[in-house]
Amino acid sequence: MFLSLARIIKFSIEDIYRNIWLSLVTVILLILALFSINMLLVVKVIGQAAVEAVKEKIDINLFLKNESKEDEILALKGEISALKEVKSVTYISKEEAMANFIDKHKDNPEILQALRELGNNPLAPILVIKPANLDILDNLINRLNTISNDIIESRNFTNYKMLLNKINDITNKVSDAGLVLSAIFVLITVLVVFNSIRVAIYTHRREIMIMRLVGASHWFIQMPYLLSGVFYTLIGVLSIMGIFYLFLTLLQPYLEAFFVGYNVNLLEYFYGNVFTIFGVQFLGVALINILASLLAVRKYSRV
Amino acid sequence: MIRFQNVYKLYPKNVAALNNLSTHILPGEFVSIVGQSGTGKTTMVKALIGEEKVDKGRIIVGGWDITNIGQREIPVLRRQIGVIFQDFKLLPKKTLFENVAFAMQVCGGHPKKIKKIIPHVMKIVGLETKADRYPQEVSGGEQQRTAIARALVHRPKILLADEPTGNLDSLNANEIIELLLRINKFGTTIILVTHNREIVNRLKRRVITLENGTIISDQSIGKYVL
Ligand SMILES: Nc1ncnc2c1ncn2[C@@H]1O[C@H](COP(=O)(O)OP(=O)(O)OP(=O)(O)O)[C@@H](O)[C@H]1O
Ligand SMILES: [Mg+2]
Repeated sequence: MFLSLARIIKFSIEDIYRNIWLSLVTVILLILALFSINMLLVVKVIGQAAVEAVKEKIDINLFLKNESKEDEILALKGEISALKEVKSVTYISKEEAMANFIDKHKDNPEILQALRELGNNPLAPILVIKPANLDILDNLINRLNTISNDIIESRNFTNYKMLLNKINDITNKVSDAGLVLSAIFVLITVLVVFNSIRVAIYTHRREIMIMRLVGASHWFIQMPYLLSGVFYTLIGVLSIMGIFYLFLTLLQPYLEAFFVGYNVNLLEYFYGNVFTIFGVQFLGVALINILASLLAVRKYSRV
Repeated sequence: MIRFQNVYKLYPKNVAALNNLSTHILPGEFVSIVGQSGTGKTTMVKALIGEEKVDKGRIIVGGWDITNIGQREIPVLRRQIGVIFQDFKLLPKKTLFENVAFAMQVCGGHPKKIKKIIPHVMKIVGLETKADRYPQEVSGGEQQRTAIARALVHRPKILLADEPTGNLDSLNANEIIELLLRINKFGTTIILVTHNREIVNRLKRRVITLENGTIISDQSIGKYVL
């Protein structure tokens, strides 16, 4: 049993080696298919990160009248905090707003000069509201619009929803395109693996005929070709792991530059899930390749 | 040992290749099968090794009804029946030794057993000194002897030879027949399909003559009657 297995593996490697160019083309196509599948994953992760980044940024500013009294503001803050659509409310007083402003423009002496000339603090106190759930952002905005309180100066509700939708839209479109591309590559791979096995069988038709004649079992005759499918998969997946490591290392600086301040680390993501990601891919592709090989073997090994 | 019972075989677009063929071959016999081209001799051989299924009748080999043999059992059958052909069927990129060893390797033979048996069968066929040569480096007779050696590695009870001398000159042909006779002496049943009148007449063994897929003559010490 073990002996036969060793011989089958030897035969299988000989098969691959004897049609080395065809084997190479097979593996390269396999790598392309895997690359496109993994790109899908990358797009998905980046898309999610982008959505998170935007969600993080979403807050609603309620500008209050300059002369509002502290206790009125706190009362309003309490009222808004009580809304179930609200996660938290932060009160930024005039003084804090001023401090923030000065801090933000500390490199711009002209602005600071202008501010000093103004004499008093022109900035309004703000209530910064973080929504509890972005899906019901509209509800919250409606709710805030109904609150009538004299101290509210203006309501600035930037439409983040559209931005979110846009990101989701782009991610979905790229994912769909990637899915189609991956499907095409997988289909091509199946055909190429099928053809490689067919050619391998054709090259070995004399051996197979003799094997059958001297009483080799079907299992022994067919196994090397099924195994070739697994070997192709193994080589393909190992290559894509290497290629993707390189690819992600090169991509990471750009990602970091793009998502400043957010933790978007694809390398870490792939590292952390390396066995799941590539294990599933190996199993899936191996299964597909074994099926393609099986089909070719069934069809052509009756020499 | 081998029994054909009213066997019929019809190929597509063909008159019967085997037409109500019945015969019984005893263990240890040396039987020649003769007949004109296209009378079903090779079809008989193919039916015996499960290569072709027959349409009617029964074929029994060593008490085993192989008429409807399953795909999984064919390898078992073929390890009990050695076959050689006119065209030797050797692998050109393997030495004679490797060609013979191949038959054992692909059937799961242990290397130790292979090392022991191959020199033995190579000696039987008289090729112990040429085992390292490639098929194209030896004569046709020697190639056929290699094929015989390969057919012997599983110690078959039956050896089928379908025109084994068809590609050989009379000298080499006689050597092959001598070898088959020697193998027959060990107790192996031999079925020899041949067109060679001289050989058949000199053998003085049983001769079955086929015509249109059926037996028209079966003599225990036969002559080539056609
Ligand atoms: N695979 C096949 N498909 C269709 N017809 C076949 C096939 N093999 C053989 N035949 C036909 O069956 C008949 C018997 O063929 P077979 O090969 O048994 O003859 P044979 O006695 O061995 O002839 P030969 O002496 O020329 O080898 C012939 O008429 C042949 O044409
Ligand atoms: Mg014939």
